[in-house]
Amino acid sequence: MLFNSYSFIFGFLPAVLAGFYLLGARNREWALLWLTAASLVFYAWWRPVNVLLIAPSILINFALSRVLERTSEARPRLARITLLGGIAFNLCFLGYFKYLNFFAGSLNDAFGTHFVLTQLILPLGISFITFQKIAFLVDVQAGRVSRFSIRDYALFVLFFPQLIAGPIVHYREMMPQFRALSCRYDPDNVAVGVTLFFFGLAKKLLLADPMSRLIAPLYGQAAAGVPQSMTEAWIAALGFTLQIYFDFSGYTDMALGLARFFGIKLPPNFNSPLKAGSIIDFWLRWHITLTRFLTAYLYNPMTLALTRRRMARGKAVYGGRNTTIPAFFSLLAMPTILTMFVSGIWHGAGYTYILWGVLHGLLLCVNHAWRLVRPRIWPNAAVYNRRMAPVGFVLTFVSVVFGMVLFRAPTASSAVMLWKGMTGAYGASLPQAVFSRLGAAGEWLNTIGVHPAWTSGSVLLEATVRIGVLLAIALAMPNTLEILAPYEPALGVKPAKVRPLAVRALAWTPGRTWAIGLAGIALAGILSLGELSEFLYWQF
Amino acid sequence: MNEQDILTGLTQILRDVLGDDTIELTMDTLRADVPDWDSFSYINFIVAAEAEYGIKFRIADVESFENVGAVVKAIGSARAR
Repeated sequence: MLFNSYSFIFGFLPAVLAGFYLLGARNREWALLWLTAASLVFYAWWRPVNVLLIAPSILINFALSRVLERTSEARPRLARITLLGGIAFNLCFLGYFKYLNFFAGSLNDAFGTHFVLTQLILPLGISFITFQKIAFLVDVQAGRVSRFSIRDYALFVLFFPQLIAGPIVHYREMMPQFRALSCRYDPDNVAVGVTLFFFGLAKKLLLADPMSRLIAPLYGQAAAGVPQSMTEAWIAALGFTLQIYFDFSGYTDMALGLARFFGIKLPPNFNSPLKAGSIIDFWLRWHITLTRFLTAYLYNPMTLALTRRRMARGKAVYGGRNTTIPAFFSLLAMPTILTMFVSGIWHGAGYTYILWGVLHGLLLCVNHAWRLVRPRIWPNAAVYNRRMAPVGFVLTFVSVVFGMVLFRAPTASSAVMLWKGMTGAYGASLPQAVFSRLGAAGEWLNTIGVHPAWTSGSVLLEATVRIGVLLAIALAMPNTLEILAPYEPALGVKPAKVRPLAVRALAWTPGRTWAIGLAGIALAGILSLGELSEFLYWQF
Repeated sequence: MNEQDILTGLTQILRDVLGDDTIELTMDTLRADVPDWDSFSYINFIVAAEAEYGIKFRIADVESFENVGAVVKAIGSARAR
């Protein structure tokens, strides 16, 4: 069931909330069981058979975590083996559904083999659920989780606001909240929840979806091998960057809002990533909980182990400014690229996603290398930061936009073709109506590679205007977390010490002005409901 | 070696890692308080500290240090053993 559907907003959600508050007034345990059951219904809505997959996986993981809990202190070796077995089980589960066909297809391509590709249906949200389960097992083994029952665990895994596409949460940040819930109607939580939910709905339906319709034909043409001029290629690249930005940030707002109806605060997942001043900064703002997961459970253990091994062999380790080139490659570049490779393939079983991940890995390495080299060239950090901040922003923005082409393009070759288009290999174009009125100037323009556009002028105009508006919102306006900061819209979010004028002007307060504004946003969102459009991140 | 010595040592390590000689750490400093102190440079900082003090943190501890003071205390107790 999509968050942006009539059946969810006017059927499922009110029914679940009413049941939750009514039961909560009598008995908390009933209310939490109701929430777990409702989450299972939510998951089953699309294909009831999915429940037959997720339920055994929950039971097996729960059994494994019980074993881990009992053995982590007394028998560490057994605990380690259990943990590795559990991680392998979850990865195989994910691999079977998500990657089997991709690997079989790749083998067929490479070696001319004839493995039969079966039509597997990807269980919804499996990538997110798998990571969350792995994190739980690791946490139990490390002694970071204590006291859990099957009911706790099932609610933690199934809690529907974050079930399909995150944020990827930790047991230790969720369970204390569930344990402390009053399970009663609370007007303050509902006010914040409604605001977040309709912010998200409007971002998705009014900003992301119309952009999606405008740029789809451009990617279709590129896939069919039609070169795109600079104009169309940049519209495709910027358009998709903004589409996925508002799609994912809209989804995240809705997830935060839905959880808040029940009194739960999910962790922040999105913090104006396009305002980032470096690619490292970008990953601390985009899909924050994924970065957090990969850093804690993959990058950090890998770097720690590698560093200790090098140290034991007496080789140079990471030494800040004095880092040697071999140490940089083996301790920073390799783990970074490997982590981003995993991030890429986690997003989707396809070469474009892998290339996208590796590209970001390389960009992160450049960023890290520059951090090490920069102080030698430019010792004064304060002056450097002040003068070079705009340069950092532009470089990051352009890199992200180029990368997003890989994320959206159907094939790697069409992505390369679009990149060539963006760098001017196929000239530029102007709308036909404009071109035909230019006369002699048009002829001159033609000699320098500017030609009339194939895409209709009205589409070009609408795309340009929309890109302008969306960019202004993404870059100049305060984000949801800033606007709602005093009410802790996401776990641990606090108002900044110094709040810029724009933040103060738009600061959310539960009063008449915002009630009217929000009613307008909600109405506009609800009136745009209709043709069902999935969130981009629901396919992962 | 007391806590103040370790704090001074860690400050120098972080200055090297981030290439910023203006960094001043206190026991209450959070990662978010220091510009550019992201998760990547955090692990570099931890590893450099391990090398400097000849100790080994548990990965679970590395994930759960809540402020600089917690790192200082962990180093102090590891060296006392």
